[in-house]
Amino acid sequence: MALDFSIILRFQDALLLGLWMTLKLTLICVILGCTFGFLVGLARTSRSLALRAISSVYVEFFRGTPVLIQLFWIFFCLPMILGIELSNLASGVIALTLYMGAITSETFRASLKSVGPEQLDACIALGLPRRNQVTNVILPQAVLRAIPTLLSNCVSLFKESALVSAVGMADLMFVGQNISNNTARPVEVLTIVALIYFVIAFPLTRAVSLIERRILAKLAI
Amino acid sequence: MTAPITPPLVRMQSLHKSYGPAIQVLKGLDIEMQPGERLVVIGPSGGGKSTLLRVMMGLEKIDRGSIMFGGKPYISSDGLDKKTKIDTEVRRSIGMVFQHYTLFPHLNVVENLILAPCKVRKERKSDATERAVGLLTRFGLAGKAKAYPSQLSGGQKQRVAIARALMLDPKLMLFDEVTSALDPELVAEVEQVILQLAAQKMPMMIVTHDMWFAKNIASRVIFCAGGVVVEDGPPEQVLGSPKEERTRDFIDRVFHIRQ
Repeated sequence: MALDFSIILRFQDALLLGLWMTLKLTLICVILGCTFGFLVGLARTSRSLALRAISSVYVEFFRGTPVLIQLFWIFFCLPMILGIELSNLASGVIALTLYMGAITSETFRASLKSVGPEQLDACIALGLPRRNQVTNVILPQAVLRAIPTLLSNCVSLFKESALVSAVGMADLMFVGQNISNNTARPVEVLTIVALIYFVIAFPLTRAVSLIERRILAKLAI
Repeated sequence: MTAPITPPLVRMQSLHKSYGPAIQVLKGLDIEMQPGERLVVIGPSGGGKSTLLRVMMGLEKIDRGSIMFGGKPYISSDGLDKKTKIDTEVRRSIGMVFQHYTLFPHLNVVENLILAPCKVRKERKSDATERAVGLLTRFGLAGKAKAYPSQLSGGQKQRVAIARALMLDPKLMLFDEVTSALDPELVAEVEQVILQLAAQKMPMMIVTHDMWFAKNIASRVIFCAGGVVVEDGPPEQVLGSPKEERTRDFIDRVFHIRQ
């Protein structure tokens, strides 16, 4: 059977809708996940043992288990526990946010740690109040250092988001699978879907190394 | 020596500091410094020199002892609880420059200089910037105002660090091995700046391994080893003809004189 990529054109609109859903989901979870991850990163470096313990358990659990199982768990078990029905979108957002929170918290933790103790010495020697030590010296450096890894985290999330198709969310992957089932042309359809993912992810990964070089050049003392 | 009429600028009494039970870094230091003095502290690594400066800046806690500045006690610990009490207002009249520059890498040179004046003293940004540019010009760094620390040489970074400390009008400057990390050809430009400050009667305490510099800048030299003051006197004595055996050994070794 010869490969025929032209059939894709017939499903252009459906694929675009799926892509839109994927991008929307990724964007929401990037924003929520990074914010949550930042707070968890702070908690993991906090002086309170309880905060450190809780946040560590959360991070290790979500980093050490398959995202697909986390997704199923939230989709099926969470409604049972809470006694409320969760929409596909809601459970997708919760699952991917928790996943993103776990991996970005590690990014933030590492970048917070990379701001050396001598920077704090300098702050104290200049008599900067604690508030300014954090907002003017530690946080800006930590966030700058975190940016390249955060972008990588975003690329990962963008690709992992394909998993939500497993709980019936009409994202790019879900649409692609549907088309491939209906046309019986999985090779062509899934190749094109993969290409769409790639065309979006590739410039981002290139941007990561570019930004990384610039930031590191600037922050190198 | 006649007794000074004004109170000493700094008076350290019985400073004790240890890292755990095994490592005692300061074993009861008593040092007095008069206004206008330029005190150079020399001695072997691990002898407590840098710790002494860090304690004065409030960067390290002490186990016991007290430090007064201008007659006011500002750091003390009675050895009963593990707390070191620090008066931050008094401490703000002391500036410090470190071996590894410790500039803020995400801020340009002027921003490095004006951060503390704007945040601590609530100085207007335009006023602080004007003062900063003035200081930079004085230190031969006029063209570097907008540069980031990563774009500067070690010598330039260290001069910026000195300017940054001076922005807060300190009454005493602490220099902790400020030329140790520099390439040899960059040492002079930093030492020139410090000599310039000395000429303006800025009181300073300097930890250095550079004996030529020590000789040129000191009004008094202290040899510190094993957490105590071994010898204390004018530079000609301590560097030229030390009375103590340990000082002599050390001076000989730094000058590579072996008989």
